[in-house]
Amino acid sequence: MRRALAGRVVAAMLLAACTHATTIAPSAPQPLPAHGESMIDTTPKERRRMVPPEVYLRAYLTWFGGLAPLDVQAKARGKNLFDAWDDYLAALGLPDHRIDLPRAMQSNTLMLATLGRLAEALCARAAEHDLHARQKPRVVFDFDAGKIATLDDFAPRFDVLHRTFLGYPAALAPGTRVQRFFLLWQQVAAHHTKKSALTADETAWAAVCTALVQHPETELY
Amino acid sequence: MRRRDFLGMAGAAAALWPLRSVMAAAPAAPGDFFVLIHAAGGWDVTLWADPRNEKRGLVEPASTENMDPAALVQWKPTKLDGDVDTFTILDDGKLRMGPGIGALWDMRDRLTVINGLAMNTVSHPDGTMFSATGRHLAGGRAPASSVDVALANELGAGQLLPAVSINFPSSFVGDRLDRRAIPLRVASAATIAKSLSRSDAYLDATDRGAITAVLGEEATDLAARSTYPETYERIGAQLAAQPELTGGTLEKAFTQKALTDAYPSLPFKARFQAAGALSAAFAVEAMKRDLVRCVGFALGGLDTHNANYKQHAHVQQELFGVIAELVKLLDATPHPTLTGRKLADRTHILVVSEFCRTPQINLAGGRDHYPNNSALVISPKFKGGRSFGTTDVDQLLPADVPGFSDGPRPIAPPDLLATFLSAFAIEPRRYLRDGEVVTELLA
Repeated sequence: MRRALAGRVVAAMLLAACTHATTIAPSAPQPLPAHGESMIDTTPKERRRMVPPEVYLRAYLTWFGGLAPLDVQAKARGKNLFDAWDDYLAALGLPDHRIDLPRAMQSNTLMLATLGRLAEALCARAAEHDLHARQKPRVVFDFDAGKIATLDDFAPRFDVLHRTFLGYPAALAPGTRVQRFFLLWQQVAAHHTKKSALTADETAWAAVCTALVQHPETELY
Repeated sequence: MRRRDFLGMAGAAAALWPLRSVMAAAPAAPGDFFVLIHAAGGWDVTLWADPRNEKRGLVEPASTENMDPAALVQWKPTKLDGDVDTFTILDDGKLRMGPGIGALWDMRDRLTVINGLAMNTVSHPDGTMFSATGRHLAGGRAPASSVDVALANELGAGQLLPAVSINFPSSFVGDRLDRRAIPLRVASAATIAKSLSRSDAYLDATDRGAITAVLGEEATDLAARSTYPETYERIGAQLAAQPELTGGTLEKAFTQKALTDAYPSLPFKARFQAAGALSAAFAVEAMKRDLVRCVGFALGGLDTHNANYKQHAHVQQELFGVIAELVKLLDATPHPTLTGRKLADRTHILVVSEFCRTPQINLAGGRDHYPNNSALVISPKFKGGRSFGTTDVDQLLPADVPGFSDGPRPIAPPDLLATFLSAFAIEPRRYLRDGEVVTELLA
């Protein structure tokens, strides 16, 4: 019985070994069926942050003529516009090695207020240089002040400043930014009727410059 | 115990657990202010909180040989060796103090002293950060937020200036913190007035108001278009605060002259703590105007390795003199929002240093760094007129105290900070990795 079973197994194995192997006929590759398209959203989804203080400072030095820090200090001083860098090291977030104070790791309100003081000083000095004294090369206000009567007069000049401080054309700005800044320009110009270091129009341009330097898009990235 | 009883108790405990969390997280009543002081340099605790006037073990006490006692109001001489005098310990039966405490001894009923703080460091930056954050430095940086940031984050976000840091070792670390709690750091109280100052030579306040209004509208527009509008909204809030900040009122109140005129009792011409006196004046003025929640500042000059140790007690006397005057001013100043209350009723002062100084005098005539420490709290939330913690008599090293969950051990800065935060219903674990609340310190 056992011998007969063994013989049948051997016979079955021999039979299986002698049959033809199954062959798969070649065929042209077919594209996978589509399951619908999805757009890749590449817009930034990170929360915007304030930039580190060195970035602000570097930007300020570059915008206002690529000056060295001491030159900026010399330019901004006078008329209680600014003092010395030493007075503001910690407030600007920079290390103060005289008192062993380390670098600040975050920007804050006081830092913005301090930079605002510097911004106002540098914008006023630039308006004095570029528009009032008409000295060349122009630093910030790279246009002829001319007479600003309408939005069309204002827009191309504003675009120069917008590209400088915000890095893109004013026409692409959201909302009614150009109109809003034109209104600011008009308000300041109308407010300054008395004689001062700058004409009313020049003061208005200094105000526009000051606003753009402190614009939320300038301060965040 | 029967199984049914055990399960019943466990069930009751589980039911009460959320209640405990709610109680711990209950917000503190508004109106508390905080003054955090860093006694920079490392103080000699044998001259104030942990007084020693005997030679014992390593301890070599202050004496007329190594110290100049002239002008120390609390130095009452007693014989040490031959014609060398040391000081008599001030002792009212509850607190024992050395002569460095100066004028603050008169307010001893309000002082809570913590002795024998285990620092485990003799490095200035490390000890400074350990005292302020409860963590040692990691790679040269603070791995946790400092106590002023924790307090500002919990209780101060609504203030115009939540945390002002005048050389206080503040650190803002963590991604769940309100960015309004970022400490406003300045080197001197006078800098704040300068930063807020604006010239009227070209633009004036009306122009600045118009500029701020335009920028506020821009921030609102950008927030409406943004996926995460919070940042723009906060910029908008900061812009809304700008007219108040730069309008001239604050600038005029915080100039050096305005502060010295307003608080003439502070020692602005002191030899060691003149800058600290100005910071104290700023703190009182800013709290009186309800602008701040925390003001941290440094009182320094304590790093006396050499012959300058002769004046260490004078530095301490001035330091505690500034604090005593600050407390007097808080006593005399009405609370800005709570009718009929004084600022002192709701102001809490924490004074820390990075470590103490060696019990022995070195060859240069000074004392070096030593990994023991003391701290001081003046707060209605703490039991006044008492000390906690101890050091061994021979080596001035922190000694074990009972009551901690892991058995007897010395108290350490994280325990003190946890206790301080818990006094205002702030859950310490939100800000501190280590530390246990020492309820014994709380009133």
